[in-house]
Amino acid sequence: MKIISVLLVLVASCLSGYMADDEGEPRLLASKNILNQYLVENKDLTVEYKIFNIGGSAAQNVRLEDAGFPEADFQLVAGNVQATWERIAPNTNVSHSVIVRPVSSGYYNFTAAEISYSAGADAKKRQVGYTSSPGEGGIVNFKEFNRRFSPHVVDWCVFAIMTLPSLGIPFLLWWSSKSKYDSKPKRS
Amino acid sequence: MSAKAAKQKNLTKEEELLLQDFSRNVSTKSSALFYGNALIVSAIPIWLFWRIHQMDLYQSGILFVVGTVISTYLVSLAYKNVKFVLKHKVAQKREEAVAREVMKMISDDKKMNKKEKDERILWKKNEVADYEATTFSIFYNNAFYLVLLIVISFYILRNFNPNVNYVFSVGSAAGLLALFSTSTK
Amino acid sequence: MNCAGKTIFSFLMLVAPSVVFGDSCASPQVKPSIYTTTEASSSTDTVFIVQFSLTCKGGPSDLTLYADVNGKTVAVTRNDDNVKFPFQVSFSDENKNLPSGTYEVKFYDEDGFANLRKAQRSGESSSSVKSLFSIEVNHPGVWKGPFVSSELVATLVALLVFFSAYTARNSLQSS
Repeated sequence: MKIISVLLVLVASCLSGYMADDEGEPRLLASKNILNQYLVENKDLTVEYKIFNIGGSAAQNVRLEDAGFPEADFQLVAGNVQATWERIAPNTNVSHSVIVRPVSSGYYNFTAAEISYSAGADAKKRQVGYTSSPGEGGIVNFKEFNRRFSPHVVDWCVFAIMTLPSLGIPFLLWWSSKSKYDSKPKRS
Repeated sequence: MSAKAAKQKNLTKEEELLLQDFSRNVSTKSSALFYGNALIVSAIPIWLFWRIHQMDLYQSGILFVVGTVISTYLVSLAYKNVKFVLKHKVAQKREEAVAREVMKMISDDKKMNKKEKDERILWKKNEVADYEATTFSIFYNNAFYLVLLIVISFYILRNFNPNVNYVFSVGSAAGLLALFSTSTK
Repeated sequence: MNCAGKTIFSFLMLVAPSVVFGDSCASPQVKPSIYTTTEASSSTDTVFIVQFSLTCKGGPSDLTLYADVNGKTVAVTRNDDNVKFPFQVSFSDENKNLPSGTYEVKFYDEDGFANLRKAQRSGESSSSVKSLFSIEVNHPGVWKGPFVSSELVATLVALLVFFSAYTARNSLQSS
């Protein structure tokens, strides 16, 4: 159930045809993880993206776009599925989170998000790459999840109230008769 | 039954007759009381299975009705058995106090002879024993039934399909209740 | 690599102040929307998401912003497709590092951020650097499920009632 992908996909530099001949090129590593313990229909699903710049210079105008949460299957709760950073300095990382709610249960394939950036402010050509993909995950039916994990405090309280008369009334009737006749024999 | 009665050596023949009269053959009034109580306690599990095990009230409606009816019958059987076992003991226990109370009440009545007085005491004793045995039996069996039900449905059959869980937990809770009620201890 | 990093930093130090000067946002109007993780089942880490819209009086609102929570600084992202809350900043850490409480997220423009870094580097208190604006995040804490399950409580109560009934029955039947 736990989906923690630790796989990082090397992006951009490898994909672009010409590798940088010096150390000045930015190189980005990006991951996409789902932080949930349980994936449940209609409950929050936390997605975290992390981008590391392991290159020698800053990546400019970095754009992250995740098309993996279509409106038909997911409701966006918080965060943007598209984000841009002016620059990511070398040897630093940034993180970005999005909260979505799966509309229905069943298996779902969580795909990679796309990132693009330019190597310098003047560079015309944008580099494109992908984050790691969390892979396939099973989204649990809300009813089933509720059955197993909700504490149902109110339901149990109502249950207690319902059982109270069927236990209390016969007990009190018996007790009143018992205390009336159960006295230790006294000499009168 | 006669063997059982014979064991109660401190009961006189008249007492035996009187008590037997009220033993397993419960009156219509107390029978209705038993069935009513059994129905209530048998219907309570529906709440748990609806709200907590998330069963659908309409989809599983027939299951709920059948389960409740069977459970009602078994629970009322347990009520009767436990009541019968308890009644003799209660009669013995309350004998002295009941006699004292009755004597106090009819002490002014000089016309009453000893036999009439004894009959009055016997009748009152039977009434008290019947009342106490009935109310206690309902209380005891209800408590037992609910414990069995919760333990079976939330621990033993926890991971089963709710429908299976309902059938087996209600069935075995009521069945075990009826089974245990036949033992005297 | 290291050299390049230094170049970038000095570039920032030299150029940023003059550029940012005109960029600064006067009397910012901020409308925030905040999400924090509330259930352990929906996230193993605590995540804060602060989204907001920003309008500046008579100035451009397309600033580059940085946010600071408890001394941790991150860059603010923007998405102009989201008209309501174009800016977003996300924080995440282990649950124990982000306990329940009120957090103040301070926002800086590039100028302020550079000053903040300078202050942090020289060991000065960062409170001397004035932030552009701040947003309060009220985190109610992460619910990890009940300590004892309701079934257990119900079972114990039922057992207690039954035990007292059983004892009463025994004392009734004892001769």
